[in-house]
Amino acid sequence: MQYNFKKIASVPAASDFIDVVLSRTQRQTPTVVHAGYAIARIRQFYMRKVKYTQQSWNEKLSRILEDFPRVDDVHPFYSDLLNVLYDKDHYKLALGQLNTARAMIDKIAKDYVKLLKYGDSLYRCKQLKRAALGRMCTIMKKHAASLAYLEQVRQHMSRLPSIDPNTRSILVCGYPNVGKSSFMNKVTRADVEVQPYAFTTKSIYVGHTDYKYLRWQVLDTPGILDRPLDERNTIEMQSITALAHLRAVVLYIVDISEQCGFSIAQQAALFHSIKPLFANKPLVVAINKIDVRKLEDLSAEDRALIDGMRDAMRGPAAMQLGDDDALPIMSTLSENGVMEVKNRCCDLLLAHRVEQKLASRRAGEVMNRLHVATPVPRDSKQRPAFIPSTLEASRARKAAGEKIVTEKELQEQNGGAGVYSADLRKRYMLENDDWKYDIVPEIYNGKNVADFIDPEIEAKLAELEREEDELEAKWEAERMDREPQEADLDEDERALLGEVRTRRNKLVAEHRRKKAAGNNNPVVPRKVDHERKLNTKNMKSSLESMGLDATAAVERARSRSRVVKRGRSMGADASMGADDANEDGKKMRTSKSRSKSVAKRVKDEVGGGLKSVDATLRATKMADKAQRKRNKLAKSGEGDRTINTKLPKWLNSGKRGNGKTDRR
Amino acid sequence: MPQNEHIELFQKRYGKRLDHEERTRKKEAREPHKRSQVAKKLIGLKAKLYAKKRHKEKVEMKKTINSHSERNNKHKVEEKAQPGAIPAYLMDREQTSRAKVLSNTVKQKRKEKAGKWEVPLPKVRPVAEDEMFKVMRSGKRMKKSWKRMITKATFVGPGFTRKPPKYERFIRPSGLRFTKAHITHPELKATFQLEILGVKKNPNGPMYSSLGVLTKGTIIEVNVSELGLVTPGGKVVWGKYAQITNNPENDGCVNGVLLV
Repeated sequence: MQYNFKKIASVPAASDFIDVVLSRTQRQTPTVVHAGYAIARIRQFYMRKVKYTQQSWNEKLSRILEDFPRVDDVHPFYSDLLNVLYDKDHYKLALGQLNTARAMIDKIAKDYVKLLKYGDSLYRCKQLKRAALGRMCTIMKKHAASLAYLEQVRQHMSRLPSIDPNTRSILVCGYPNVGKSSFMNKVTRADVEVQPYAFTTKSIYVGHTDYKYLRWQVLDTPGILDRPLDERNTIEMQSITALAHLRAVVLYIVDISEQCGFSIAQQAALFHSIKPLFANKPLVVAINKIDVRKLEDLSAEDRALIDGMRDAMRGPAAMQLGDDDALPIMSTLSENGVMEVKNRCCDLLLAHRVEQKLASRRAGEVMNRLHVATPVPRDSKQRPAFIPSTLEASRARKAAGEKIVTEKELQEQNGGAGVYSADLRKRYMLENDDWKYDIVPEIYNGKNVADFIDPEIEAKLAELEREEDELEAKWEAERMDREPQEADLDEDERALLGEVRTRRNKLVAEHRRKKAAGNNNPVVPRKVDHERKLNTKNMKSSLESMGLDATAAVERARSRSRVVKRGRSMGADASMGADDANEDGKKMRTSKSRSKSVAKRVKDEVGGGLKSVDATLRATKMADKAQRKRNKLAKSGEGDRTINTKLPKWLNSGKRGNGKTDRR
Repeated sequence: MPQNEHIELFQKRYGKRLDHEERTRKKEAREPHKRSQVAKKLIGLKAKLYAKKRHKEKVEMKKTINSHSERNNKHKVEEKAQPGAIPAYLMDREQTSRAKVLSNTVKQKRKEKAGKWEVPLPKVRPVAEDEMFKVMRSGKRMKKSWKRMITKATFVGPGFTRKPPKYERFIRPSGLRFTKAHITHPELKATFQLEILGVKKNPNGPMYSSLGVLTKGTIIEVNVSELGLVTPGGKVVWGKYAQITNNPENDGCVNGVLLV
């Protein structure tokens, strides 16, 4: 079983909890109901709300109850640790309260659903729902304290080191400040804080180390003082819990220098008072801080005390290992003997565990399946392992004391990383060592590139560039000569240019105007539009604007509609130039004025069968007015019969909350 | 410090980052802007709740500021006005107490007219018959309609047995039956869940009293033996009257005040 308390989901505070549940109900259940609905539907609507709220309370509370470990179910070490850290009674009470709250909420939901079945109006159903949700929330509000407590416990628990109580572990204990954490830091990579004052370590720390290709758990416990159990504080109690429940090798560290503030006599007394906790466990007593004080410097009494501890540590496992009597000594400062102590602990525990396994009932089942093969040599021939000669040579050189210069050292000597570039050719294996630094020819398509290089290429290139410069200079001079002639235009050309430009500007302006106005304006048929109407006047102006002589074309077009006059022949008109046309215009005007009384004349602006300018204006106004409504319906004109999407999906799907009328 | 508090450990070893003070100061300074952004964006119920919460905070803040600035303020020691004191400009007027006497008598009369109950809720909304009863159709063709179902909460005594359906005119649905009430003792200001013993009087009429209908203003008798009340003679009181103060059919529970 894994003991990982990091996965417990966070417990929200009571007010947040209520918000979460109620807003979830609001979001996940329908929100629209009307008094006009059938009463069964209204009842169902509110029942659903009540049930849903109850369900989500139930779900969330069950989650909490499931997540938190039950004190009675976990390993006794954890159960005691939880008791020490969080007070078992308080913990159980808090969980128990949540459990009853869950049951009460379920009951309330049941009651109110029953009452809702008799609801005869929307108002009554709504009131009942309100009362139900209110009562559920009140219950939870009453448990605010236990929720807050559980949240704190959760946060603390998630930071507890994950200790596996059943694996191989070394338990380091002793008085405060004797060097337990320093030992831990030397043996593992846990990086525990070490300070020169008592109770630096306030909780159990875990590190991992490696011995015989196995993973070992090292537990650093807070220091213990020598006093009765009921006077111990929470910090000490954690160590006691670990000592009591973990099947580990106990490493009791004694500070020989007495720098920790406790004499050897006191340390021995503590050892003997907690000895009952070491029963059935392998035990190692290690002497620390020998860099300060040697074992030989001890007085006779102290020596006797230490020997007393050593006798106690001799268990059956130690006997089996055939260990010598030597006390393990170490100095965590100078790292003397630390590894020996660790190895000794590990050996002891391994022996102990094997012994236990052998003693267990299951051992027999496994043992009779085991067979250890011991191969017998088939002949007297020696078959030693193959060792390459180079390896032997290098070993010999090493033995002779030759210093091998590594690439890293070279780098340090020659300016460090980034500056030094490694010599890659140094280790080339060639027939002749002199060839190592020869220039390697570049080969391209099977040919040596060097063979094709013209030795005078540089000179030729320079010559070419010089020629190019000269030519450029020449062209530049020519251009300078030519330019002044180009610069000025004569009067006519300038005028023409101006005309062209104004016309272009006009076209652009016109286009823009049309584009701006165009989309809403009705499309006027060409027949009615007197600007685009197909008549000789428009034809003439357009042709002339293109720079063509329009007289003949106009003549031909009009020839049918015009009354044939008697009198001077107009035959010469065809060959007339622009100036003559002007004169002809004058003539036309005079002839027109002469026939002014004729009633046939119709004004140019008036068209499309309308009598006067006023009528035209009125007609356009009416047309505009008629179009206005169509514009609102996004119709381009009266002929526009398009039917657009009536119910746009994006506007009509999904819930419509506050402010979601025209976007979703 | 447990093993896995990496941030705290780092800060202990290497200190906080150099611009930590600056950053916290800035963060704090930005806080009002952020809050106003949130307040602007919220809509609907969330906005209401937020405004309410913020208002409370502001009131609290103002109070603390005022209480802190109290000692800096200079104010005169004001004597409290005596009860019955009058301002100087009213000194020479003659007091008339007649109006008061008159209004008192009017009040008295009104009270008498209202009813003889000296109860916390002297007046109740009358409940129409069609609100109180639902017509049940019966008969083979479902065309007889002499049966009624009571749509309000009711109290039904423990020994009640239903009559045969042919004679059962009023049905009191078991889902709407209540046996317990939450009764507040007005002097103790404490609420107890007490058993209902019977319905003494329903203000809507004697028929409802006999049917045991619990509506707002109904006087019920509750079992107060748990409260340990004692009569002047020294006997333990076990039945006492109480008046219902809520609409049980809407709230799903019966609340009331003890009549003492």
